[in-house]
Amino acid sequence: MRKEESLISHLDWPLFISFILMLIAGMTTLYSVAYNDLHPSIFDVSMMYGKQLIWIVVSLFLGLLVFLIDSDIYRRFAFPIYGFTLFLLVVVLFMPAVHGARAWIGIGSMGIQPAEFAKISTALLLAKYISSISVKQQNISSVLTASAILLVPMALILLQPDAGTFVVFTSFLFVMYREGLTFDPIILSFVNRIPGVRFKETWVGSHFIPILFVMIFISVITLLLNSVQLDFFFLPFPVSGSIGVISTILIFSVLSILFLQRFSAKRERSRGTVIIILGFVFTSGLSFIVDHGFNSLAPHQKDRIELFLGLREDPNGKDYNRNRAMAAVGSGGLLGKGYNKASVSSVESNHVPESETDFIFCPFAEEWGFVGITFLFGLYLFMLIRIILIAERQRSIFNRVYAYCVGMILFYHFAINIGMNIGFAPVIGIPLPFFSYGGSSMMSFCMMMFILLKLDSQRKDVLR
Amino acid sequence: MNFDIRRYVILAFIILVGFLYTFRLFYMQVVDDTWTLRAHEVAEKRIEITPPRGVVFDRNGMKIVSNRTYFNLMMVEDEIKNLDTVAFAKLIGWTVEDVRKRFKEIIKGEGTYYNKITGKRTSNYQKIRKYPFLKELTLEEISRIAPHLENFPGFYEKVTSMRNYPFKSGANIMGYLSEVNREEVESDHFYKPGDNIGRSGIEKFYERELRGRKGIKYIVTSALNNAIESFADGKYDTTARQADPLKLGMDMIIQSYGEKLMQNKKGCIVAIEPSTGEILAMVSAPSYDPNLLVGKRNISANYPKLALDKNMPLFPRPLQAEYPPGSIFKLVQSLIGMQEGVITARSGFPCDKSLVGCHDHPSARNVAEAVQYSCNPYYYAVVRRIIQQGKKKGIFADAEYGLNKWHKYMRSFGLGKTLDADVSGQRPGLIPDSKYYDKWYGHHQWAFSTIRSISIGQGEVKLTPLHMANIAAIIANKGWFYVPHFVKSIGRKGPLAIYRTKKRTMVNEQYYGPVIEGMRKVVNEAGGTASMARLDDIEICGKTGTVQNPHGEDHSVFIAFAPMNNPKIAIAVFVENAGFGGTWAGPIASLMIEKYLKRKVSDKDKEKRIIDAKLAYISNQR
Repeated sequence: MRKEESLISHLDWPLFISFILMLIAGMTTLYSVAYNDLHPSIFDVSMMYGKQLIWIVVSLFLGLLVFLIDSDIYRRFAFPIYGFTLFLLVVVLFMPAVHGARAWIGIGSMGIQPAEFAKISTALLLAKYISSISVKQQNISSVLTASAILLVPMALILLQPDAGTFVVFTSFLFVMYREGLTFDPIILSFVNRIPGVRFKETWVGSHFIPILFVMIFISVITLLLNSVQLDFFFLPFPVSGSIGVISTILIFSVLSILFLQRFSAKRERSRGTVIIILGFVFTSGLSFIVDHGFNSLAPHQKDRIELFLGLREDPNGKDYNRNRAMAAVGSGGLLGKGYNKASVSSVESNHVPESETDFIFCPFAEEWGFVGITFLFGLYLFMLIRIILIAERQRSIFNRVYAYCVGMILFYHFAINIGMNIGFAPVIGIPLPFFSYGGSSMMSFCMMMFILLKLDSQRKDVLR
Repeated sequence: MNFDIRRYVILAFIILVGFLYTFRLFYMQVVDDTWTLRAHEVAEKRIEITPPRGVVFDRNGMKIVSNRTYFNLMMVEDEIKNLDTVAFAKLIGWTVEDVRKRFKEIIKGEGTYYNKITGKRTSNYQKIRKYPFLKELTLEEISRIAPHLENFPGFYEKVTSMRNYPFKSGANIMGYLSEVNREEVESDHFYKPGDNIGRSGIEKFYERELRGRKGIKYIVTSALNNAIESFADGKYDTTARQADPLKLGMDMIIQSYGEKLMQNKKGCIVAIEPSTGEILAMVSAPSYDPNLLVGKRNISANYPKLALDKNMPLFPRPLQAEYPPGSIFKLVQSLIGMQEGVITARSGFPCDKSLVGCHDHPSARNVAEAVQYSCNPYYYAVVRRIIQQGKKKGIFADAEYGLNKWHKYMRSFGLGKTLDADVSGQRPGLIPDSKYYDKWYGHHQWAFSTIRSISIGQGEVKLTPLHMANIAAIIANKGWFYVPHFVKSIGRKGPLAIYRTKKRTMVNEQYYGPVIEGMRKVVNEAGGTASMARLDDIEICGKTGTVQNPHGEDHSVFIAFAPMNNPKIAIAVFVENAGFGGTWAGPIASLMIEKYLKRKVSDKDKEKRIIDAKLAYISNQR
């Protein structure tokens, strides 16, 4: 009795409500996109919406179980759970292929995808491992152990093959970064072999993840502007794309140095300035290299990269899905076409393939327009920020690491899935959490969320 | 070491992506139209419904141009399953190679699309779209094929309509339809490839009035090209509307009677109602059955044959044949002479055969007799007086002045220019002015003696039969005319504005009397040249002409109007290589007049003689 009271009073209601809102929005969108005149009832289990409703009910029931069970078992049984999912990931490789991938255990629509659940078990084991080592123990072996926890399921998933989920697993690198578990020790072991060098830390090594994303960002921007002549309002002549990127970085660097001189502590100033200058040299060098490297590629290689970046169109060929998806999203306009009015992306019209699963963002964007999307993004951002706030308030490292894992997994799914619809990400099949049709992903995301809520509600019970 | 600060790196990253995506979506959905247009392209389809073309009635309310239902055999490649080519070829009566060839032809016919960005060329042909495999099948043909189509999924029938001419007459005047070409599709958005357009005659002139309004339906389609629902609940749809019917002034009874009279002859008949300018009949001989040029199949089978026929049945003689008018021109010369005051109605000139050859007749004592006898020397004298009025110094300058004045008179009779009738393909004929002769002989290098053959309607002067009939109408009206035209009314509207404006000649009404009296004598008095055209109970006024033809037998021409005191019909008959005008052209005109006014012909022998005559007609049979 006391326990249940504490659950309700300790539950993080903002996160719970945003989660429920998301489920409602997802269900509504699926009902609209898959709507069939002959089977108008949302409870019709022969239709996708009826089935999805069953999955949601099952997920909520699982959630109830999670709430009733003591949260300690996740920590205690993290390794067996992890082992069991690895077993399933091996079993799935011997299953018949569906659409060219051996991702399903079971028959047809009633099957499950172990890869979806592998995300939770990997998160749990990673949390358990990181909580078991102290900060001072962070060395090469701890980095490699943590990496191994990720790499084993990743390798099995790649064998299916399921590139989407494989990419999602790299989200754990953010978590490791947050916990200070970076590749710095490995880099140091190489650097310190140079005579006379004795580093305690390399900045590049410890900030490897953000730097990697900055590199990718700059490279993509450079490639996008590769064949463009830019007109700057303050320049009398047009400049080439890479020059434009480099000069933009230069302007930002100069501004940051000025900002640093003005506002930061004296001790930090010289170090910060050096970092910014080095950063400028590095990023502009990268931009320059990428630009020239691209120009020296063979035409067919260039072609492939340009297709990937959306610089070149092949609307009825390789680019079919993305082209139709972007048409659907773009045609939504400011206010959208109205509920149940998605003419391009409804399942019936079938212009956007997989519009009930991987491309379910399309009908949402088409029906609700930019206004609806602003609300959806607000909800997503609220949810992610709330998860990070929850993570940071945990007393136990296990809880914190797990919360970060959930946050980063959701972020990856949101960013990549929506990116696919707007030409910002390659088309790799991953579901949009709480929206896409499918039992495994629905159950997996709900479980993830319920475990987080349960852990958070018991955060004050013990100091783990 | 404390890594807490890193939470802000992660938070910043999440928020940055959120904003980036929001901006991108704002651009895609609100700012940039590209994707909206792309969505229309992908998901919506415009269906056009072409109404049947407007029908045409004659002056008595008989439907002379109607539409007939035909069928197209359509195919959708994507729906074709396990096609038994041999059985299919047998069904449509083709060889297997022809069927294969047709498939290739359809794909090729759709053309290609050049993508500027990728530099690739792709075919416009789409497997999911409908294409006509066979066009213009008749009811008999489709009823043989249709019951078996269930064995050939992907093929089905579609109803379409084409022209039908129940009277088989007036082919050259009505014109024909054929498929639009690429330029026409590009210059007028009304047309889509495969549509028909009026190619000649009335069909061409009244294309806009006859084509009607296309119905347009916007529908939302699926990726498989199935219609799902109407777009925006049909807010932008329009319904197809057939054009209002055209009512012609043409009398189909005398039109087909005229064609019968002219069989096995070359030439034409043009009949006009003088009081309105409505064309009652326009016969071009030889002609052809207009149903021969209906639809692509017929055109490709029959057009080459007709085009190569030595008798030129496709040549619309009444509009395009420019003949010297011969003696009928003397009527206009008399009128101009009197108006100019160089002669009076009572002027007489001796028949001086030293000037020009003439047949034997008493000298004309006045204009009426001159017309009656068709005296060549008389008109030499008259036209010399018109051209050489002695008002300018020197014979050449005087002739220049006179000719230009004469030219102006002729223009007021609608001669030397196209008449603006409502039919495409009219020729202007030729009435020379001073510039014309300056080009030939040099400035001030010619005088009346140089150009004298124009006085009897020979030499450079050329008129179309439509011009000739219009002269008859003008004389019947005593000095005015409406521009000859076919269409009496378009739906509830009357004829076009230009056909409702009276045009006046430069010759006053009082001068027409003597000429009309002469024309009466031509037909009704002894010594007249067209006694064979005489009718007992209808007083016909006419004038014969025999046009000298350096290439062979002379042409026979006759213009007339009747009845004399209340003219109902003005007519011109031109028979090529038929000799003297009174022998052939005159009787034909009288038969036409009688048929029109009384609906029956009394002199059956005359009718039989005309119908049976074969004049200078090249037989195509060997």
